[in-house]
Amino acid sequence: MIRDEPALHAEGTPFDLFPRVRTGNPQADDVLGGGFPSNSINIVMGQPGTGKTIFAEQLLFENAHGDRPLLFVTTLSEPLTTVVSYVQRFDFFDERKLGTEIQYHDLGLLLASDGPGALVPWLTEMIKTSRPKLIVIDSFRAIHDLATSIQEMRRMVSDLAGLLSAYDVTTFLLGEYTSDDVQRFPEFAIGDGIIELARNPLSTRDERFFRVLKVRGSAYREGQHAFRITDAGLELYPRLVSPRIPEDYEPRLERVPTGVAGLDAMLEGGLWRGSTTLVVGPTGSGKTTLALQFALEGVRRGEPTLYVNFQENPAQLRRAIASLGMSAEEAIARGLSLHYESPVELQIDSIIVGIFDRIQTEDIRRVVVDAIGDLVMAASDAQRLHDYLYALVQHLAVHHVTTVLTFESTQSMMSTIDFEHRFSYMSDNVLLLGLRGEERTRRTLRIVKTRNSGNDPDVRELEVRAGGARIV
Amino acid sequence: MHRVAPEAGSASNPASSPAPSPNGRAIILVVERDPHVRALQEYFLDEAGFAVEFAPDGVAALEMARAVAPYIIITEILVPKLDGLALCRAVKKDPALRGTAVLVFSILAAESRAREAGADAFLMKPLADRRLVDTVRTLLETCSRASTQLPTGRSSAGGSQP
Repeated sequence: MIRDEPALHAEGTPFDLFPRVRTGNPQADDVLGGGFPSNSINIVMGQPGTGKTIFAEQLLFENAHGDRPLLFVTTLSEPLTTVVSYVQRFDFFDERKLGTEIQYHDLGLLLASDGPGALVPWLTEMIKTSRPKLIVIDSFRAIHDLATSIQEMRRMVSDLAGLLSAYDVTTFLLGEYTSDDVQRFPEFAIGDGIIELARNPLSTRDERFFRVLKVRGSAYREGQHAFRITDAGLELYPRLVSPRIPEDYEPRLERVPTGVAGLDAMLEGGLWRGSTTLVVGPTGSGKTTLALQFALEGVRRGEPTLYVNFQENPAQLRRAIASLGMSAEEAIARGLSLHYESPVELQIDSIIVGIFDRIQTEDIRRVVVDAIGDLVMAASDAQRLHDYLYALVQHLAVHHVTTVLTFESTQSMMSTIDFEHRFSYMSDNVLLLGLRGEERTRRTLRIVKTRNSGNDPDVRELEVRAGGARIV
Repeated sequence: MHRVAPEAGSASNPASSPAPSPNGRAIILVVERDPHVRALQEYFLDEAGFAVEFAPDGVAALEMARAVAPYIIITEILVPKLDGLALCRAVKKDPALRGTAVLVFSILAAESRAREAGADAFLMKPLADRRLVDTVRTLLETCSRASTQLPTGRSSAGGSQP
């Protein structure tokens, strides 16, 4: 996964001195700085359907080790039978753990007849008789509806905090809280940790985000982390953060041949290793050809190369590779990895994290992303996409991976100009491809920008024919 | 000032040995202000077979200790009038209480200060019932072994267990 040091929020706090309660999801533990501190009181907030209950169930099953029981207490919002039958579809479900290890209790009737004040005495009895290691209360927010005054809730919450901090138990209060509630409800003052799950409905799918608002004494990862709900429970994609430059980091002063005849000469010998090059141009200007040549040149030089694309399906791409003088099978055998994702399915977080994982596990030296404009469509938030790509580019630079990104300049989107500008800014080099002429289409290439290098500033003709593109 | 334990203390034993309560249970004196902690201590220690007495502050605890000669004093550091560490030092200085072990059970991570004050054991809050009961049992074994082996006149300042 992503191996950056998380930012330390509590400066100098020895946050790993305390044992941690794992969530059952390694990525979520990573985001939380190792899990939840044990003996803490945590609030898991989010609107209905965001995955709070699944998150809590996964955590319970993860922590059912047969030593002390775990309590799942429902109040009002979901009947117990619903909760129990729903959880069975997940891989982490283990019916042998139900009953004695994971105990479900329905407090709806008791709280309705005796009021919120009945919770703490009931929990005290449970602690005495069951000695639970973990307690989940779902939904804690629903108890507010039974209170006759906010003072009544304040007293109860304060009493609850007293009880829960007196005993060796870690507690999770779930609720359909809104951001206004954070200021309003007393439980937020006693929470050591606050986690938010959010769902953002898009036209074809929902985006879900996991966010840590607070974990006392922990180095957690800020920001929204995308997740999906799968049969395994929550599948989280920690937000890529820009790497800390290692102390021994030095740019490799080494030129990387592009594989495009004549282009290396324009670039004083090639691209710097670890640099990022943006290739911009309209449809048919030769972006994919140029990018594939760069990839195959890497393969010829024994550099593991990753080619990510969202447009051509694998068969189309194989034909395109074959037209450049090497069969796709041979290219793959010699170190080319093809990574195809349909743009419809794309979720920006999973794709970027997926690319990054492959780069690390396969020791990739060259990367092509064709075309990053497709990611613009997959991203619901421009700033988020920009942050992601920026972080990715930084990671690639630190790992000395040389990267080519293509971008279609005429994609009919209002925002492409803005994106083109942003991508240009984060790239070390920008190559602009063009189409000219009426009777005969001529393709052109111009170097708009090179960082730390001289270049040939003239507009050159790019000839594309069987065998590939070359500078005339 | 030195008192023989009132209950079941044998007259031939001038320096008091801890004495069981009338129903034969070892007496544990708990100095604690937090009502939730008190309720749980009472429940778990009672269930484990001990007789639990409570003192509201360090001064009262010292007086009660001299009166009932508990086997063990469990004290929070942050208690009124005489703090838990001062109480510990006073107990350890008092020959009449030399059979009494002190367990400092605190919200503060102050194990070394507790040991310096002569505490026989230290536990940090929150209350983990098994750990508390196990620690109390170990202390009890240690001090009953010590008092059977050395019924009177122990040579050195006692109490510190490995």
